[in-house]
Amino acid sequence: MTALALARPYLAFARTSFLNLLAYRARYFVGILTYFFNATVWYYIWRALFHEKGDGATLGGFTFPQMLTYVTTGWALRSFYFNEVDREIASQVREGRLAMTLIKPVDVQAMTLSQALGESAFRLVLFTLPIGVLLGLVYPILPPASPSAFALYLLSGLLSALLVGAINFCVGLVAIRTTSILGVLRAKYLVLELLSGLLVPVAFFPEPARKVLVWLPFMHMNDTPGRIWLGLATGADAARALALQAGWTVALLLLGRVLWNATARRIEVQGG
Amino acid sequence: MSDPAVRVRDLVKTFEVSRKSPGLAGALKGLFRSETTTLTAVDHVSFDLDRGEMVGYIGPNGAGKSTTIKMLTGILTPTSGDVTALGFVPWRDRRAYTKSIGVVFGQRTQLWWDIAVVESFRLLREIYGVSEADYARRMKVFDDLLDVGRLLPQPVRKLSLGERMRCDLAASLLHEPTLLFLDEPTIGLDVVAKANVRSFLKEANKLLSTTVILTTHDLDDIEELCERVVLIDRGQVLWDGSLRGLRDRHLPEARIRFDLNPIPAGDPAELAVGPWRAARLAQGRYQIVVDKREVSTADVLREVVRDLPVLDLAVGEPDIEEVVARIYRENAALRKPDDEALPEGGAPGVVAHRGVRRG
Repeated sequence: MTALALARPYLAFARTSFLNLLAYRARYFVGILTYFFNATVWYYIWRALFHEKGDGATLGGFTFPQMLTYVTTGWALRSFYFNEVDREIASQVREGRLAMTLIKPVDVQAMTLSQALGESAFRLVLFTLPIGVLLGLVYPILPPASPSAFALYLLSGLLSALLVGAINFCVGLVAIRTTSILGVLRAKYLVLELLSGLLVPVAFFPEPARKVLVWLPFMHMNDTPGRIWLGLATGADAARALALQAGWTVALLLLGRVLWNATARRIEVQGG
Repeated sequence: MSDPAVRVRDLVKTFEVSRKSPGLAGALKGLFRSETTTLTAVDHVSFDLDRGEMVGYIGPNGAGKSTTIKMLTGILTPTSGDVTALGFVPWRDRRAYTKSIGVVFGQRTQLWWDIAVVESFRLLREIYGVSEADYARRMKVFDDLLDVGRLLPQPVRKLSLGERMRCDLAASLLHEPTLLFLDEPTIGLDVVAKANVRSFLKEANKLLSTTVILTTHDLDDIEELCERVVLIDRGQVLWDGSLRGLRDRHLPEARIRFDLNPIPAGDPAELAVGPWRAARLAQGRYQIVVDKREVSTADVLREVVRDLPVLDLAVGEPDIEEVVARIYRENAALRKPDDEALPEGGAPGVVAHRGVRRG
């Protein structure tokens, strides 16, 4: 069987997921505003902090325009890579809906990630692009440092979507084993939003923490693409960050497979 | 091919259920130590399904029907025992095996809720790698038999239960599976929808010689569709054979119902007819329940007609619902005093012989 034939069901899953979200498109118009407000709140927080320091000051190596760009491209990126694979898989198990997946000749992880990517494609069109345009019109955002920086930013953003999907699949499988799925998910959001650099650039973390964070997957979700856009990570620096991001994506996909194999036997589909 | 489509041997599934002690003290205790009880949902179940056969798998709520189906479809891993289905071990070879099976869980849907039905079918087409030509041909058949064509552009959430079930049935057969599992396919459907589903299943079974295993609470489904039933209760097989055999063995009764004219003096609650008693059902209407093991129905009829001023008369058999209700009741009564004391296996028929006679 050719690779295309193998991939066809999963492309179909992505497509169906895309269509399914279209049924909810009204919800996204509100979402655009939510993201815009989030970025705005951070815009004013950073403006106040920079204002205190005086004109032309830098914080953590960022000028104010750079910080503004980091924050807005970060939120726009999040509107693309965000998915709820963890909640979905945990609730599928809880409600016994997973049964309907298990009776089909599909790989559960590949199917889940295809649906997540279908969702990201949808979010890109109805969410990320309008948010990006809106933010660009309202705030003086810096353009990408170079055409190649922009290309690498897109690559890194795509990897982020895969990385988040891989992480969430694992988190969902772990959450099933606990009685408090929501607790686990809330803890995850805290960790991800803090360590990804979405709330505060990783440059503001203490030196020892930064040394560790570089080797962990989280900061590559946001901080890496943000610094690439700004030209703060270029050449070997950018290559290393992207390699780590890709490496973690593969590692977490594999971990997801191991967890799935360990969990599948234990899954007792509810009800009946 | 002489191999059975499905071969089940000594299938067992137990669940660990945590036992909660009552009250605050119990809740506190539960924080440190959780006591678990083992619940046996399926208890040494064995049977074969021949290719092309349509078998009813029946039992009361909680009998272990769905648990069995989940093991046969590869969703659940059994505690012990063997299943070979189409040459596969379902839970081990799930992905290869599920290519050749179709499953309908009446209480769930495999269709995407918010998008047009046709999109779910397109997805299934890709999942099973059905060619364009096959897809078009089969959709035509589904439209002829199930009238799904006009439902295709509609989102599933807008369909009635009967319409949704028809779509789900078609979806489960799109890849022409050799083995079809139907778990409560007529649940919640009205009379017309039920009739549609049944005639479709008959047709599909005939056209494709699909092996079908059907669980249901509606015994009319079984009477219309299945030559053979496997009846389970509390995880054990109580009967495996024909419906007629089940009836003859467990409730070998005939009911002779007759109207008298003139009405007997005093409108008595009971009438003697030879050695038998006729019970009054309504004014002038009586019924004799004949135990077919003791006497032939014809003998009783002759006496009734000879001795009484019969205006009208009908002979009936207990319907299958009644037979099955009786078996459940007897099985429950038998088990009540001490569950553990029951002999291993609970062979079919044992229950009926020891059953409490109806007073």
